[in-house]
Amino acid sequence: MNGTPHVLNRILIGILGLILLAIGFLLMLLATVPAVGSWWQSWSTGLWEHAKYLSEQTRIPGRQESWLWVAAAAVLVVLIVLMVSWVSQQGKGRANLIVSEYDDARTPGDVNIGGNLAEQALKAALAERTDLAGVMVATYEVNGRPGLRIRVQPRQGVSPHTLAADVSRLVEALDIVVGRKTPVLIHIGAGARTRFSKAERVR
Amino acid sequence: MSHAQTPHAGRSHPDTTHAQTPDGQAPGSETPGIQMPDVQAPGTSGVGDRIDVGLQRILRRETRSSRAGIAGLAAALVIAACIYALLESALRAIGQPPWLIDPQTAAERLTALPGGISPLLLGALGGVVAMVGLIFFLNAVLPGRKSRHLLEDPRAGVVVDDEVIASALARAARAAANVTQEQVMVVVSQRLVVVNVRPTSGVPLHEERILAGVEDELQRMAPSPMPSVRVNVATSGVIGA
Repeated sequence: MNGTPHVLNRILIGILGLILLAIGFLLMLLATVPAVGSWWQSWSTGLWEHAKYLSEQTRIPGRQESWLWVAAAAVLVVLIVLMVSWVSQQGKGRANLIVSEYDDARTPGDVNIGGNLAEQALKAALAERTDLAGVMVATYEVNGRPGLRIRVQPRQGVSPHTLAADVSRLVEALDIVVGRKTPVLIHIGAGARTRFSKAERVR
Repeated sequence: MSHAQTPHAGRSHPDTTHAQTPDGQAPGSETPGIQMPDVQAPGTSGVGDRIDVGLQRILRRETRSSRAGIAGLAAALVIAACIYALLESALRAIGQPPWLIDPQTAAERLTALPGGISPLLLGALGGVVAMVGLIFFLNAVLPGRKSRHLLEDPRAGVVVDDEVIASALARAARAAANVTQEQVMVVVSQRLVVVNVRPTSGVPLHEERILAGVEDELQRMAPSPMPSVRVNVATSGVIGA
């Protein structure tokens, strides 16, 4: 439900995987096939000579070094920044408000309702149930609109459909309280707490 | 004992059927003020559809792996390589001795490659690099389906871990077979539910009854995609259960 870029992740991981695969296969071929070795030596030596020639041509006036080194360093820094920004995209999208409105026709001023309201209300409503090992409620931004993610962890043997219906009824009650319908995701999951707790025999 | 031994991200299930989203969503009412959520105000169906579309997208995303972990790993790998290259070229630029190898020597060694290193080491190195690359590549290309099913609900989108479904079905099978918890094991995958039951020694088990009980629970649950049920009754029994 968060804003993790699924497609971007797939593309970038795929590119990195292909590059590593190519390097690995090249190394294995170099180790096993002599013909590949001689081809590689002539090809890469030509490339290296060309690079040396280029760095001779692009010398900084009055100094030994070529400005190509500076350019390469800049490219590396840009690459690092891009990678950091990629990582920071993972799991983003948490929001604080479930309702944020400005409608002077009905009420003067802004109306903001925090996500904590939904969280506290749902947690309090589900607190007495003995068939649940845990409840987590979080607000996320989905397509620029707030959405609610409710994660419940039932004990072993609880029927998920009845649990979903109960939680869904609570969400409808919350709709009435808040006055808005937000997208809601109910995730009925299993975790370490449910796996090692005893089965629910009486409901 | 009931647990879901669900295959890793549906890798053993190459079927490409998309997880269906519930289509019986009630369109939401978007008029301000307090009112019953089921009452649809006129002229607001567009907003309800927007919620529907958003919810379907959420459900589609929830049943797929986001690959956040492996993405972080890939980024860390690239960042580490970049920082090392920066360090060595900076050392060279300010005329300091290299830390491990200076860029020029590294390039010259690379061009001379099959020589200067034992072929066994080179081949092993290539194998390891290719293996890491294959792991990344397969992670990107395979569908990466999570072991989850969707349930229908008029108000919210519901995703259920297969483990929860398995434990609910195990309870149904246990009740139908009249055995203890430890004698039933249920494995839920995308399109198949396997119920393994070990009977109590000397007490015959009715396979149809177990099947009917599990199917009944599954029908009431109505997960999508709907799996089919198979019941295996073990030939050896359990004593003293």
